[in-house]
Amino acid sequence: MRELSVENLARVEGHGGITVTLDGKKVKSVTLDVHEGPRLIEQLVKGMRPEDDLNVIPRICAICTLSHRYAAIRGLEKALAIKPSEKTQLTRDLMMLGENVESNSLHTMLLALPDFLGYPSAIAMLNDYADDVKRALRLKKFGNRVMEITSGRIVHGENPVVGGFGKYPSKKALEEIKVKSRELIPDAIRVIELFGSLEYPAYSEAESLFMSVNAPKKEYGFAGDTILVSNGKETSAEDYKKLTNERVVTHSFAKRSLYQDKPFTVGANARMINMGKRLDGQAADFFKEHYSDKWLKNPLYNDLAQAIEELWSLEHMPEVCDRIGSLEDTPIEKPTRTTGSGTGAVEAPRGTLYHHYDIKDGLIDVADIITPTAQNLDDIEKHMKLTAERMLADDKKDEEVRLGLEMVARAYDPCISCATHMVTLKRI
Amino acid sequence: MHKLRNAHGDSEADLKSRLEKIAGKGKVYVLGLGNTDRADDGAGILVAESLKKHFPSNSFSEHDGVEGIVLDISEKKEISTILFVDAADLRLDPGSIVVVSKEDIREREITTHRVAVALLASLLKSNGKDSAVICIQPATIQFRGEISEPVAGAVNKLVRLLEEIMETRNRR
Repeated sequence: MRELSVENLARVEGHGGITVTLDGKKVKSVTLDVHEGPRLIEQLVKGMRPEDDLNVIPRICAICTLSHRYAAIRGLEKALAIKPSEKTQLTRDLMMLGENVESNSLHTMLLALPDFLGYPSAIAMLNDYADDVKRALRLKKFGNRVMEITSGRIVHGENPVVGGFGKYPSKKALEEIKVKSRELIPDAIRVIELFGSLEYPAYSEAESLFMSVNAPKKEYGFAGDTILVSNGKETSAEDYKKLTNERVVTHSFAKRSLYQDKPFTVGANARMINMGKRLDGQAADFFKEHYSDKWLKNPLYNDLAQAIEELWSLEHMPEVCDRIGSLEDTPIEKPTRTTGSGTGAVEAPRGTLYHHYDIKDGLIDVADIITPTAQNLDDIEKHMKLTAERMLADDKKDEEVRLGLEMVARAYDPCISCATHMVTLKRI
Repeated sequence: MHKLRNAHGDSEADLKSRLEKIAGKGKVYVLGLGNTDRADDGAGILVAESLKKHFPSNSFSEHDGVEGIVLDISEKKEISTILFVDAADLRLDPGSIVVVSKEDIREREITTHRVAVALLASLLKSNGKDSAVICIQPATIQFRGEISEPVAGAVNKLVRLLEEIMETRNRR
């Protein structure tokens, strides 16, 4: 028996590895091992007031910080029967657009692209692709700026609260976002053109299921009260457990999810598969140009999906800013009850994120958080196993197999810190 | 916190001359890195935040968005040097300060949390800017811990020395 491993999967968030156990050319198993220790966040917040929960929960992750905050807010507001104002809702939409641009630009251009272009990292890519590295940094900087304007800080902003915002963005700040988002559209288009021109290896291809929120009003978006499955089913976010069916595995600190006993995928490609036809603007044109049945089988297309989504986020910002600016500031809405339950579902850049709360007499009794990476882990392992089997059958060298596996894992833009789990090739 | 290869400790007597030398002849920018939630790991942030009081356009902390600041500085038409300040495990006495050239930074990868300083240093170099990393040896990086006495002293000393250097180079 032989083991082929990637002890520390690079260019992802958190610490993980990949282990492939081989018997000759036969792949016995592929595991994505999560080395991050348990976070115990759900237990830490038990007994806290909802407003205190918001000080803890976003610390799960600094890259998805606003997604965690927003999912928690949505769950807590449902539990406390709070209806946010239109201005609050729109400002939350804007902060999610900012996080999407910040995270997608980083993942596509600096984390995923070097694999496709044959460089070990973006650092090595700099000599030949300096303009593209700078482009990625410009987009990331702007995403950070939108997050800062809406949430108060680049990371772990405290401005979005249960019931509203401590302070709404000023007209000047909204104008800054409008101007800059339009300026950066050519950069986002270049990212799409780059990823649209790449060869996507087919080793990992297999049918899968895709889940995402169903954004309201038949629009594309990053939050919703129901969940769409690519098999045509739609389920209330409150019934998330019927979709995720979490279980524990021995090789990882992250829980796993199966839907109808099958692995599934969440993330930008799932959003495109379920809501791509709702895109508008140039993003819709690029979606029509590039979308194909391959997206339903090959996880590497998540990178192209993120690139198109980033353009949509930029194109969408001016309209959202105009609508926010046209509305009067509203006070923070107060709870109308002290006991209740609620589930918040949002689309973090790397997929659907659930925060469920049971609140009893004003204090959190139960908190349940299901992260996108935890939902994706079974599907990542499925696609990695196929990749290993097919590449070894093709007489690929171990180093090539390792890269193939890493590309699959990285395509999911995994956040191991959030999932609290990645390659080792074991030969019998 | 940075990880280093081949780090050599600088004696206190040599520190100012080392800083003077790496600061070059142009403007000096300081970018403090770290995590203030983890005791001494926040040393770089504390240095940058202190320098901001007198040099708000030349001193930044990680909280200000590292990549964007480096991108802006790299595109300025001026001679400048950017000094990254961060805690680093040098296996020296707590509070030791070491100036490390960018070539000695082992960090080669980018994570979702922070673009590697090595990439930022390369980006600056491609635009004709110089850079270096000033490392402070922590005593503790315990979560929610207090900054240790030797590291607090190192922060104060570094702020004073960098203020003197920035006063001559940045106010001309």
